Amino acid sequence: MTQPVLLETDGLITTLTINRPDARNAMSIEILEGMHRAVDGLASSATSVLVITGAGKAFCAGMDLKAVLIELSGDASVGEELLTSLARLTLKIRNLHQVVVASVNGAAIGGGCGLTCVCDVTVSHKDAKLGFPEVDLGICPAVIAPWVVKKLGAGRARKAMLMGGVMNGQEAFDIGLVDHLAEDRDGLDALTETVANRLATGGPKALSATKKLLNELDGSLEEAMVLKGAKLSASVLASPPAQKALSARLKR
Amino acid sequence: MIRVELQDDIAIVSLDRPDKRNALVPAMLEQLDRDIQKCAHKVRALVLVGEGKSFCAGFDLKLCADDPGGETMRQLLTGLSTVVRTMRAIEIPIVLGVHGAAVAGGCALLGGADIVVADEQAKLGYPVVKIGVSPAVSAAFMLASFTSGAVRSRLLDTELISGSDALRIGLVHETVEDRDAVRERAVEIAEILSKKPGSAIRATKSWLNEICSPMTEHAQRGLDVSLSLTGSPEEQERLAALWG
Repeated sequence: MTQPVLLETDGLITTLTINRPDARNAMSIEILEGMHRAVDGLASSATSVLVITGAGKAFCAGMDLKAVLIELSGDASVGEELLTSLARLTLKIRNLHQVVVASVNGAAIGGGCGLTCVCDVTVSHKDAKLGFPEVDLGICPAVIAPWVVKKLGAGRARKAMLMGGVMNGQEAFDIGLVDHLAEDRDGLDALTETVANRLATGGPKALSATKKLLNELDGSLEEAMVLKGAKLSASVLASPPAQKALSARLKR
Repeated sequence: MIRVELQDDIAIVSLDRPDKRNALVPAMLEQLDRDIQKCAHKVRALVLVGEGKSFCAGFDLKLCADDPGGETMRQLLTGLSTVVRTMRAIEIPIVLGVHGAAVAGGCALLGGADIVVADEQAKLGYPVVKIGVSPAVSAAFMLASFTSGAVRSRLLDTELISGSDALRIGLVHETVEDRDAVRERAVEIAEILSKKPGSAIRATKSWLNEICSPMTEHAQRGLDVSLSLTGSPEEQERLAALWG
């Protein structure tokens, strides 16, 4: 069986690749568990920078919609299990001592886009697709909302999450969702390397102390909010209108 | 002074005192509050715009200058705080369109909106400290929507900035070139919102309120700070000087 997550360390930089390219790296229980294990291991690693990216064309298409469609899975608890796992993972990533860079190679949608907001720095390219189309599917991006608000500021986060849809890399760059923008996919790896290498020149203690302070100041340690978001998101997800919208989407 | 049009699943609420650039008077704020609350139960998205040449010039200061006791100013500050709280509290999203200008109390209304559209040349700002008034009443709401840096420079600096600059700092979400296109675009956005699953929109707006709105006591504290200056000699002298 293929590994859900690939880890590669080169000097002070570790790269974590979400590895489910045939499903656009959608977050299934297996993928999330793989990410939890990888991130747990990094807590004791001496690297300074973690780069998160996706295998194949997409960065991460968000939650595995097939897994949370009750008529397919026959199990109404999967949604809450996935959302709680994602909530805990976001807190874990935020608490890593490494500076975390999202290298958004392709689509970063919903929870996948939320994941980029948990990272400290996001690198992408003009043709990438990012956004929060949850409301279009009748669901509520409650788990990731606190991270989106911290990344974009509340006003821009309101528009991004209430309007739904997706935007291109340039639009994402314009509102501060992306911090560094390559011209195209071909330019992304070099730009990611430049950013990661530059971050890795920082003193490891200075970097981790600064990140820790920022986490304290911006409320990143408020676990209860994110976990409450998982409950809320799960209840909306299990509601008939959301299940109907998801079912229609998957049959398209 | 307030006009409401229902159009399919959206309500278009207009400040309608064009000969005074939609300057706010106490009764107008009361009516605006009532109308927004009523609409919240009838439609799925709300548009707030202004009639005439500009969105809103802020409080009608002529009324305040004619009322040295400061009672009119107190009513305006309290009314403004109430309207912005209502805008946040209703479950449907609000799209606000700024054409021409949103100044002082007019700019404060942005703090209650979910999405703001402006024309590139629009003038936005909160230049009230120069007349001895504190914009503290709006601080909690503005901080819940915009970055601290953007809010500090708007509330403390009397400069008016353009719609394009407001877009850059995140005070507005989208600009259009022509001021006459603002209303149309705001309506278009509201129509898009009104077609999305209502339960998801309601859950998302109220969750966003929970994670980033100011606590009620912050809103009250801001209002109290603004009220504490009303009728003060500094305010009265500066207001009177406006009308020379």
